Amino acid sequence: MSTPTTDAAAPAKAAAGGDAKKPPPPLVPSTTSAERLALAKKYGLRPLNVRPPLGEYIRDLTRRWAFIRVLATSTAYAKNQNNYLGQLWAVLNPILNAAVYVLIFGVLLKLSRGVDNSIAFIVIGVFMYRFVEASVTGGAKSISGKTQLLRSLHFPRAVLPMSTVLSLLTTLIPAIVVMCGITLLSGFLPGYEMIHVTWWWLLLPAAVALMWVFNTGLAFIMARFVASTPDIENVLPFVMRVVMYASGVIFPVVSYVERLVIPETSKAVVGGILEYQPVAVYLYLVRSVLMQEEIFPPSGLMWALGGAWAVLFFVIGFVVFWRGEERYGRD
Amino acid sequence: MTEADEHMDFDLEVEPEDEGEEALETELGTPCLVVDDLHVVYRVIGGRAKKEAEKQGAEIREVKVKVPFYKRLLQAGRRHVGAVSEVHAVRGVSFTVRHGESVGIVGVNGSGKSTMLRAIAGLMPPKSGSVHVSGEPSLLGVNAALMPMLTGERNIMIGGLALGLTPKQVEERFDEVVEFAGIGDFVYLPMKTYSSGMGARLRFAISSAASPDILMIDEALATGDAAFKERSKSRIEEVRSNAGTVFLVSHSISTIEAMCTRVLWMHQGQLVMDGPVHEVADAYKKFVRAQRPGMGPARRRALQRKRAAEEAARKKAEADAQKKADAEAKKAAEAHA
Repeated sequence: MSTPTTDAAAPAKAAAGGDAKKPPPPLVPSTTSAERLALAKKYGLRPLNVRPPLGEYIRDLTRRWAFIRVLATSTAYAKNQNNYLGQLWAVLNPILNAAVYVLIFGVLLKLSRGVDNSIAFIVIGVFMYRFVEASVTGGAKSISGKTQLLRSLHFPRAVLPMSTVLSLLTTLIPAIVVMCGITLLSGFLPGYEMIHVTWWWLLLPAAVALMWVFNTGLAFIMARFVASTPDIENVLPFVMRVVMYASGVIFPVVSYVERLVIPETSKAVVGGILEYQPVAVYLYLVRSVLMQEEIFPPSGLMWALGGAWAVLFFVIGFVVFWRGEERYGRD
Repeated sequence: MTEADEHMDFDLEVEPEDEGEEALETELGTPCLVVDDLHVVYRVIGGRAKKEAEKQGAEIREVKVKVPFYKRLLQAGRRHVGAVSEVHAVRGVSFTVRHGESVGIVGVNGSGKSTMLRAIAGLMPPKSGSVHVSGEPSLLGVNAALMPMLTGERNIMIGGLALGLTPKQVEERFDEVVEFAGIGDFVYLPMKTYSSGMGARLRFAISSAASPDILMIDEALATGDAAFKERSKSRIEEVRSNAGTVFLVSHSISTIEAMCTRVLWMHQGQLVMDGPVHEVADAYKKFVRAQRPGMGPARRRALQRKRAAEEAARKKAEADAQKKADAEAKKAAEAHA
């Protein structure tokens, strides 16, 4: 048979006879809701807009790994494409950034940090912290800023925050090369301790990888909350600035806690929180790997904490994000 | 006639090359899509959307949720701070579609066609009701956002991967996609340099490359030229002959008549007619034509102003003539005296 089906209870003879200016009245379906659902079940149809079970979601996501990778590298590439110098900016940008911080905090405001090479201290702090900060702000926009894409194509939404952070990691790699270069060169300046390349440097990729996992978790959490409450995005820059000072990016914050006028016990608590919170842990790891400073001895505890924070944030972030899966794109 | 009706934007395009074309009749299979009492409500943050959208005939209401006291305090300046409206774009739609059907969706602007298409493609979560499908639906919209900064080549890869193909599959189909889109060497240039027609063609080529079970097309054919339309029509027939289903939203009623076997007519978020293509298309055309001579409020007001001005001018002329006559009569009387 080749006549089209219709769900109208009676063949619609609307507009005929009646007022042609008015559309026909809304149709009354010939089947009841229960009948339609039974029909869907009979032919094995799959309900849409239902959050897939966690296991299935993870499988679906791992199948899209190529998509995550291509989206990440393409975004990273597109960022510098509109300039005459093109991809050279991937290196120039971090150099200029480091120059500003070194000039202001290293040369003009010569504050004692209890370290022998404050340029290396600042450059490592700023570069690694920018990775965290960019992951938070990028993750926040990864769903809310892509409504058009969400309403056009169907794929596991976790692809978006993941590719955002992966894209930042791709731009971080040239920046890390610059960072290592500046760290080494700073030793030749008078008044700065020489820094040597040691076997410890081989652990740098491990520290960056832990940060990447941690940042992805953060991006998941931000993506979910900003998608439902866009206002959070306005508060983020301020929160991130507080976190920056609380993580010892430019000044070792723990030494300042010592000088606070509060009871000893609360000093220990505040100091402990500031020292072992994730961002401070990752900065410690990178600094302990690259610099030979007495205040950053290699520490097994810090590596264990770095791993624990990464896993914890990634798992919690992923579950938080997955629980909102069926809602992304509605608002 | 309601206020909303008067504001409707009528659009009854007829493409000459579609005249007389008929959609291919195919064998109908088992149901492949069941839509049950679908309601789609989307949130609009920022209050100003309200009046504009209401004009379009959408039903909008302020969100009334029970809020604790401290929140109410925060929301004291509600209209400007934290104004949230909801647009009830699709209001209870139910239908069943079978394998091999080609369904057109018609309706005036703002009747909820595109929103419904997104909801049945699984891209916009419904407020209530459900959609059941077999296979993976794929929506093709004119503003399907690929990355304008990147080359067509890169976009083909991204689009293909997003649709669930593997990188190898995308590479295999690359030449076919480029040829179908008819963009030639432009594929190696950034997509922002493309004309709107080229962009739309490439997007159509990408979304149909994955040979979807349910292909949904939202106005995308409007930007293509005649040759492209011919190619996309044969692609649509191909999907249907593979037991796939096609949905088509278009303002061009002739395109719908040429490509569809069944038409759904939506009005203000509800289904008002559902049946074979000619029956519904004829009724819809009649409805739209009936609206045409009727004019919008702006034009009506302009006409009223014109009439009022004419009336005033006429009255003034009359009054002047009267005065003149009076004056002459007076003069005559004086002379007489």
